[in-house]
Amino acid sequence: MPDLLAARAQMGTSLAFHIIFSALGVGLPLLLCIAEGLALFRKDKTWMMLARRWARAAAILFAIGAVSGTILSFELGLLWPTYIKFAGAVVGLPFALEGFAFFLEAIFLGLYLYGWDRLSPRAHWLCSFPIWISGLASAWFIVSANSWMNTPAGFVIKNGKVVDINPIQAMLNPSTPYETIHMILACYVATGFGVAAVYAFGMLRGKRDDYYRKGLMLALVMGVIAIPLQIISGDANARFLVDAQPAKLAAMEGVFKTQQGAPLEIGGLADPSTGKVIYALEIPRGLSILATFNPNSTIKGLDAFAPADRPNPLPVHSSFDGMVASGFFVLFIALLFWFLYFLKKRTVPTNRLLLLGIVLSGPLSFLAIELGWMVTEFGRQPWVIYGYLRTKDAVTTAPWLNISFLIFTLIYVLLAVALTRLLLGVARSPLPKVEMPGNTQQSERAGV
Amino acid sequence: MSVALIALSILWLGLIAYAVLGGADFGAGIWNLFAVGPQAKRQIQLINRALGPVWEANHVWLIFLIVGLFSVFPSAFAILSIALFIPLTIALIGIVMRGSAFIFRTYAIDTTAPTTTWWSRVFSTASLVTPFFLGAAAAAVASGKIEATNGNVQADLGAAWTTPFALTIGAMAISLCATIAAVYLCVEAHNDHDETLAEMYRLRALIAGAITAVLGALGLLLSPSEAPILWQGLLTRALPVVIATMLIGLATAAALFYRRYSLARILIILETAFLLGSWGLSQYPYIIPPHVTIENAANDPNVIVILLISIGIGMVLILPALYYLFSVFKLPTPAPGLEKKEEHTASEVPQEKSL
Repeated sequence: MPDLLAARAQMGTSLAFHIIFSALGVGLPLLLCIAEGLALFRKDKTWMMLARRWARAAAILFAIGAVSGTILSFELGLLWPTYIKFAGAVVGLPFALEGFAFFLEAIFLGLYLYGWDRLSPRAHWLCSFPIWISGLASAWFIVSANSWMNTPAGFVIKNGKVVDINPIQAMLNPSTPYETIHMILACYVATGFGVAAVYAFGMLRGKRDDYYRKGLMLALVMGVIAIPLQIISGDANARFLVDAQPAKLAAMEGVFKTQQGAPLEIGGLADPSTGKVIYALEIPRGLSILATFNPNSTIKGLDAFAPADRPNPLPVHSSFDGMVASGFFVLFIALLFWFLYFLKKRTVPTNRLLLLGIVLSGPLSFLAIELGWMVTEFGRQPWVIYGYLRTKDAVTTAPWLNISFLIFTLIYVLLAVALTRLLLGVARSPLPKVEMPGNTQQSERAGV
Repeated sequence: MSVALIALSILWLGLIAYAVLGGADFGAGIWNLFAVGPQAKRQIQLINRALGPVWEANHVWLIFLIVGLFSVFPSAFAILSIALFIPLTIALIGIVMRGSAFIFRTYAIDTTAPTTTWWSRVFSTASLVTPFFLGAAAAAVASGKIEATNGNVQADLGAAWTTPFALTIGAMAISLCATIAAVYLCVEAHNDHDETLAEMYRLRALIAGAITAVLGALGLLLSPSEAPILWQGLLTRALPVVIATMLIGLATAAALFYRRYSLARILIILETAFLLGSWGLSQYPYIIPPHVTIENAANDPNVIVILLISIGIGMVLILPALYYLFSVFKLPTPAPGLEKKEEHTASEVPQEKSL
């Protein structure tokens, strides 16, 4: 494997692995905070059991998130020294602020996870606030750095040197509001449906008690509030690309030729060798309408860019369609859930097909995150800093990148296997023993 | 004083914080290797309790250093990443395996399963490997053997970080981490009224401290030929700090000998701070001798000022939180929000002791 490909493969694997934990790191603390708050104010044991159980899983997941995030911060230099020389100078600020947010998160996580018996219940609950707030802030800062790679701002190139650096302007670059909101919502959707899937799976296997209903309900509430907003945010993102990154939009939608009244290609394979999208469902003028609300508008195709400046539409288009399809499936499940919930007079619906749909929505919403990142990263190629630095010029000159890629891949496989075993063990271990008189009455008003 | 120098000084304080906090976590992993025999279980429990609440926060100092370095001295960071690709990659693998192995063995459902024992060994091995390669990488920088003319540098397959000097400093990093951890564990065992373990770690701290001193002396002996720029600085600018480091080292040993454990903890922190301080002072004004200086590697001063302001705001939030964390788990000072026995509602909520 050439060095550039090995470095990209290692970076991509690292991101794909880490992103699962960062999404949970944003979403889970909010679930913990709400569950523990409900436990304290309603004096409800079930909520406390849920908070305890989630905290145990969170301790494991966050540790893996912390170490996999460390890999990325090293890799910025180890794999892409030329990139970090440029990016560090201009957009170091959000990285530094993300570092502080991560710091706060780690400190209060230590207090939260190990303080159950040391802190008063109220102080313990208060410790969960800085965790979800800094998780949210971390996501915003780090994605604003990625936004900068898509729409670089806050500097001038004079005689080959980066001058007039304005780090605030770099952080608040044009992509920032679109990308950060889209990612943060994605974290809540994925965590919500991911956790809900666990409880829906339990209910499918016949467990219908208060613990499962409440677990399912709270996680779903987070997911179903976030998913419609996410669809709107996604639409805004795509529309933003029409002017900001037309090459990426062209690759996403499989537009090879610049044309008026561009059709929308749903599905299929965008084959760069023939310049056609095969096996796709074509909606005439669909893309022009979606992108600009004008059926006759002109959409830039890949042919508007020099061959050396074009992203490969094959992975970008397929990832994009996969993400959108997952998103709409999850939205459909969310709407169905609410419909049945109110139809059945505010009780948690236990329709088997719906539960199966929720089980599927969990992995699909994580898949959507992975695919979304592939869209934005593959879609920015061949650039690492759009319009300024090509990926091939950013890679390190260090040797043995193949070996490095191999070793890190093995580490990820090892961690994934060990983590899965451990989490399954946590899920199967008996719930904390509590006498729960009056539990049946509680389940009647399980609605949140 | 230039803003770059102020920023570098803050980063150096961050380095000291990482050494005395993160370094101790690696040291505890090293002592985990020695947890055998009849007291093995109590030792492992002590290590788990000591590390559990704080290791992730301690680890963030490393992230602070990396991000700070590439924001303030972007070109120096790029040079180090290329030149020290191999030792830093190995240290990174060590950091990753240490953290995850610690979690896998601590949260294991079955503490006697073979996989748990295996993860425990991974935890120890990684804790040994990481400080060695970080130390060797630091020594490679200090020795002035990373040639970066005009910002161009070749990946170094071992010329600078496998010299006798670098190997000595790598070994010294291991023994220093072990010493710091032994002193902390001694205090924690003493606070738990476990005098057998306190005595054990007292002895281990003295032995590891002696080894650190010997390796430090060897490093000094090798400096004139292997790290001439460092040696020049040690003899001139940094000489008072070097002497202070030696005296504090002796005082730490004396405090341990007379069982003044809390004092020993303060002294070993000072010792580490002075040791790293003497390194920093000695190679001033170089970041990577002999070519990369504070002056020629620094980012735009306006950017550094904004970074300094954000570091200031960040520290206002971090330091009280960090103090609270340590006062809840490590310090004898009373912290607000602690469980009060008379008014607690714990009887109403389930307790999962296994956590």
